[in-house]
Amino acid sequence: MLRAALLVLLATCTSVASARVCSVWPGSGTIKQALANTCDTIIIHTGTYREGTITIERPVVLLGQGWPVIDGGGVGEVVVVSAPHVTLQGLVVRGTMVSDMNDNAGIKCISVTDIRIIGNRVESCFFGIYLSSVTHALVADNRVIGDPMADENRRANGIHLWKCSHVEVLRNTAMHHRDGIYLEFVTDSHVGNDTTAYNARYGLHFMFSHRDSYTRNLFHDNGAGVAVMFTREVTMTDNRFEHNRGASSYGLLLKEINDAHIERNMFVDNTVGILLDGCNRANVTDNRFQANGWAVKLFANSTAAVFERNGFSGNTFDMTTNGDLVLTTLKGNYWDRYRGYDLDRDGRGDVPHRPLSVFALVTERMPYAMVLSRSLMVNLLDQGERLVPTLTPAMLQDTGPLMHPPDRSGEQHARRSVEQYGERTLVPSALVAAIMVLHTWWSFTDRPILRSTGPHG
Amino acid sequence: MWKVYKYTLLDLARNRFALGYALLLLLVSVGLFMLESDNTKALISLTQVVLALVPLLALIFTIIYFYNQYEFTVLLAVQPLRRQSITRAQFLAIGTALLVSFLFGVGFPVVAYAPSPIGWTLLLTGAALTLVFCALGMFIAVGQRDRAKAVGIGLATWVFMVLVYDSLLLWLMFSFSDRPIEPVIVPLAALNPIDLSRILVMLKVDLAALLGYTGAVYQKFFGGAGGMLVSFVALLLWMLLPAWGAVRTFARKDL
Repeated sequence: MLRAALLVLLATCTSVASARVCSVWPGSGTIKQALANTCDTIIIHTGTYREGTITIERPVVLLGQGWPVIDGGGVGEVVVVSAPHVTLQGLVVRGTMVSDMNDNAGIKCISVTDIRIIGNRVESCFFGIYLSSVTHALVADNRVIGDPMADENRRANGIHLWKCSHVEVLRNTAMHHRDGIYLEFVTDSHVGNDTTAYNARYGLHFMFSHRDSYTRNLFHDNGAGVAVMFTREVTMTDNRFEHNRGASSYGLLLKEINDAHIERNMFVDNTVGILLDGCNRANVTDNRFQANGWAVKLFANSTAAVFERNGFSGNTFDMTTNGDLVLTTLKGNYWDRYRGYDLDRDGRGDVPHRPLSVFALVTERMPYAMVLSRSLMVNLLDQGERLVPTLTPAMLQDTGPLMHPPDRSGEQHARRSVEQYGERTLVPSALVAAIMVLHTWWSFTDRPILRSTGPHG
Repeated sequence: MWKVYKYTLLDLARNRFALGYALLLLLVSVGLFMLESDNTKALISLTQVVLALVPLLALIFTIIYFYNQYEFTVLLAVQPLRRQSITRAQFLAIGTALLVSFLFGVGFPVVAYAPSPIGWTLLLTGAALTLVFCALGMFIAVGQRDRAKAVGIGLATWVFMVLVYDSLLLWLMFSFSDRPIEPVIVPLAALNPIDLSRILVMLKVDLAALLGYTGAVYQKFFGGAGGMLVSFVALLLWMLLPAWGAVRTFARKDL
């Protein structure tokens, strides 16, 4: 074992010894010249390098020192990698040409393997980082920032992956592009700890990208939120979907997604928290839905979805659907609208909760009915339906709703939901008001309120 | 006019009901803020309470107070005073008393717990509603000789505005659901002062949902400074028209 380790060490030493490093300064040689040499590592020092499109055609490490700027000058691509085993690190890349014909990118890799793009800044590019037919790549710690002033049709995707596999996209920031992170035909890959925000279209967009996982990402203030489609076996955990507002904006839109695991995510302040359209066997567990317009929109063409241990609080609507037949299981979620009781004290309500309100159904049919939101009439309508369910699908109910939010059971024990207290105070206060009205009524008949100390006294 | 206003206000200050009204509102607001950890949620509950309670109590109180004051009013009418100024002074005095009660009962807690745009909107619309229903109460009371009948009309008005009107709107939506009815519904909803106030507050609360499909219609109508202005002009008209009606009716009334 020790001998093996020594051998490896020796091999590394010799390879380091044989590695040839060359440096480039502005004014002393160009990157292209350095690439034409045989050196393995090219250190690029501070400065601006305007060399048009730089094509890397052999395995090499490009290392930026003090943020050297590589400016493509707006003639097309900036850095094109067409060889395997290439590392790009510490570079500032800008100056792509906006084009309707070509997908010009700041850093583009085509049909290669073992690529590492680490800690670069890609600024105001058309496409940012573009990987096509790449396997085994690492895209980490990059900041891909588009031009916030650009129109949507002058923007393209921040991090764009096409027909890739085994790619890790970690700790990147993608802003002001069309889609922040875009994946199509990308399999067995991982997107983690990334932040996408203020993109004109989607924060994250993927299609036909099977067996991928998405963890601890933050998607906020994107034009249409996150939309993912036509994919099997997706795992999305510990992500945050925030402030995605607009007529067609979704925290997370799932279309034709099969066998998805959506766990421990936060959905806060979105027009629609999560939409399921034609999804089969989606497992939605341990998520939190807070202050969304619609927390969950569940289209009736989705089958066998399971919602478990999710917390719903402060949403205008917790759930809506567009059909009568709902093949979805709800069990053990927390609903702040739940009015039931827990006689056996097992933490679960003894009567089922129906998250679908009549008003939600009404607005599904007639969106403009929103003008009646939270009016007394609508409250009465919902109360009536809760007592005698006739209009909402009978199947859609949570048989064992949690009495307290899943993760804060102890501290929040005494605290109940808004409407519960709203109603509880409405009843006594209305009673008090009635008594006062009656009292006044009675008092004016024989005892005028106006005393002798009045204006004429 | 200002003398009548002053003495009516002094009398109102001694009125147990006005004090009770203020204390009730205070109890409700503080209770909601204490029980609910999230201030925004408490504000939403408070809005619902205020939108139902304030119109009812303002209306009934104004009507009953007018009848209690009736003999004094008749006494004033024989003095060399303009009748218009008597009614105007009484309306202003009752309005001031109710407004002070409202600002005391709801204003203090809101400022203390949740000085947010939602809170300010709630205070503003609540104050406007107080005056609107005070004016309506005056109008009803002046027109009727029988106090029981006036209270009955007042209650009917309240039920109509808080419940029946919305039901009618919903019925209208269902009946015409296959026609482009959106441009009609929103202005119709805004015709009712309670609905208008609710929409103004909800526009701040339910923004996420409202910006959905209806967003365009909503934002066009209520969003922006222009929409706000239109809304407050509408509320102002709801105040001034009944008040003007009351003044006019009283001026021509056979006492």
